[in-house]
Amino acid sequence: MKLLDLMRLALGRLGTGKMRTGLTMLGIIIGVASVVALVSVAQGATKGISDQLNALGTNLLTVNPGFVRGAVTRGSFGGATTLTIADASAITGLDGVQAVAPELATSKLVIAGTQNETASIVGTTPAYLSVFAYDIWTGTFISQASVDQNLRVAVIGATTADNLSLTDSSIGSTIYIGGLPFELVGILQSKGGTGSEDDRVIVPLSTARELFVGSTSVSSIGLSATSQDAITTVSAEITALLDQRHGITAGATADFSITTQAQLLGTVSSVSDVLTLLLAGIASISLLVGGIGIMNIMLVSVRERTREIGIRKAIGARGRDILSQFLVEALALSLAGGAIGILFGVLASFAIGVYAGWGFVFNPITVVAAVGFSLVVGIVFGVWPASQAARLDPVVALRYE
Amino acid sequence: MSAHAVEPIIELENVSRIYDTGRVQVPALVDANLTVAKGEFMAIIGPSGSGKSTMMNILGCLDRPTSGRYILDGQPVDELDDNGLAYVRSRSIGFVFQSYNLLPRTSALENVATPLMYQGVGRKERLSRAQAALERLGLGDRLDHEPSELSGGQQQRVGIARALVTEPALILADEPTGNLDSHSGAEVLSIFKDLHSLGRTIVLITHDIDVATAADRGVHIRDGQLYEAVLS
Repeated sequence: MKLLDLMRLALGRLGTGKMRTGLTMLGIIIGVASVVALVSVAQGATKGISDQLNALGTNLLTVNPGFVRGAVTRGSFGGATTLTIADASAITGLDGVQAVAPELATSKLVIAGTQNETASIVGTTPAYLSVFAYDIWTGTFISQASVDQNLRVAVIGATTADNLSLTDSSIGSTIYIGGLPFELVGILQSKGGTGSEDDRVIVPLSTARELFVGSTSVSSIGLSATSQDAITTVSAEITALLDQRHGITAGATADFSITTQAQLLGTVSSVSDVLTLLLAGIASISLLVGGIGIMNIMLVSVRERTREIGIRKAIGARGRDILSQFLVEALALSLAGGAIGILFGVLASFAIGVYAGWGFVFNPITVVAAVGFSLVVGIVFGVWPASQAARLDPVVALRYE
Repeated sequence: MSAHAVEPIIELENVSRIYDTGRVQVPALVDANLTVAKGEFMAIIGPSGSGKSTMMNILGCLDRPTSGRYILDGQPVDELDDNGLAYVRSRSIGFVFQSYNLLPRTSALENVATPLMYQGVGRKERLSRAQAALERLGLGDRLDHEPSELSGGQQQRVGIARALVTEPALILADEPTGNLDSHSGAEVLSIFKDLHSLGRTIVLITHDIDVATAADRGVHIRDGQLYEAVLS
């Protein structure tokens, strides 16, 4: 029998029981739609997180004090005091380093007019702006002169500005940090996203040390490499430099750790792979249930059409003609269900993507996989009923009422 | 039992069919010998339970004899496998059934064209051959009708068209008038007579001796055994 004949038979058959066909396909539709939608959600979420990480600056390296054992950095952020301003200056001289911004972090009550909030205070240098890829929304950033002269100037993040009701007309006004007056010189452009990068107050490093911390250690050192390719080299250079400066010999545990953006992205992508697999696995269960629905309806159909099978065999159909007829019917059910499922899945991922704000993430591989999956479901769950039909004895089948 | 010296279509030699029900063995057909010559119109007459259906299943290659030889159109068929039997049914046999056995929700034209589909004939050719067969049986204006839209006599004529469309060596009719009123029944029998006069080989299986008189030779079947019959 020719494929075209088989397809004509299958479509004719599915067209005669539209309600039953529709309900049978529903299982596959839901299965495929949820696979497509959930995989796309997982990938969209990953893209959203990666975008935020990239917004921090793709060439970014961070040197933290403390040491790494396993995956845990001992000595929390700002807690250990092994990194100094001198370390930061030494790093500045390395090849492949574009800019270095030591950070001295603390937390203080900030008051502006009648508003107040407890914000994280970052003492740093002008390089901070480029290293962490910030933009100035209004005013200016802290200058080298303000660092050199311990000036009491402050630049605030977009969220902090909102919380304190400060706008571009507030530039030049006085705000109080830890009870001390500072001149507000600038407000940063929002980075978007959900992180805390927009909620901070930036002051000159020297000022923070003099007024709030009073030591030569820094909380961390942020630096940017000249390019993404240079990150590995720079990371190795810093390790060698700090090992030497801190007197760490081979085999001893370092008292600092270096985190690169690439490492973070790697972690995110491995987490997201697991997430994608998990969601696809859950969705596959509904696909399996849909397949069982197809098998069920095909078995009922073989029973109902026993006499038809007998007639077909009497007028010359071989077992394999009957087998192909029922198999193509099961395939038509699962593929049509798969196609409609893809449509709904894509629509759903589009809606979710727009709602969640990471835009429309569409992966053609998902669609190929979904089509392949429906094919497999059709074959796996269609073969048994079809072989039942093919094996029917024509004498018995013809007498079946 | 050969009545003609021309080449035989059917040759049964000591054919038996014994059903094994597990505890008892039921002999439905015992040492049957039968020769049907090409162009013959033969009736097999017997009441229900006589082994008539078994005879029809063996002759139609729907079932295999337990022992004995069956040569159909020059080819031994008693030892063919399922696919071999399907091939013989497709090429050499045209069935006409008591209850018509047309495919439901399928037009008369598609019904008649279906045996050609299993022969691998292209769609265009099989539709034109099916249409010609239906027109020969006076159903040229019923091509698109489904079985449920046709009278019993019309359905049986569609059944005969389906049996004829492959130009088989043998037409095997199982109680073809059993579900019809006397007028339609007579019509169907006259169609068989016409086909016989055109040289077709027909085996008609019936319980009704009056129907059997349409044939030019007959055998009785009783308790699984064949006896020559005298047709008035």
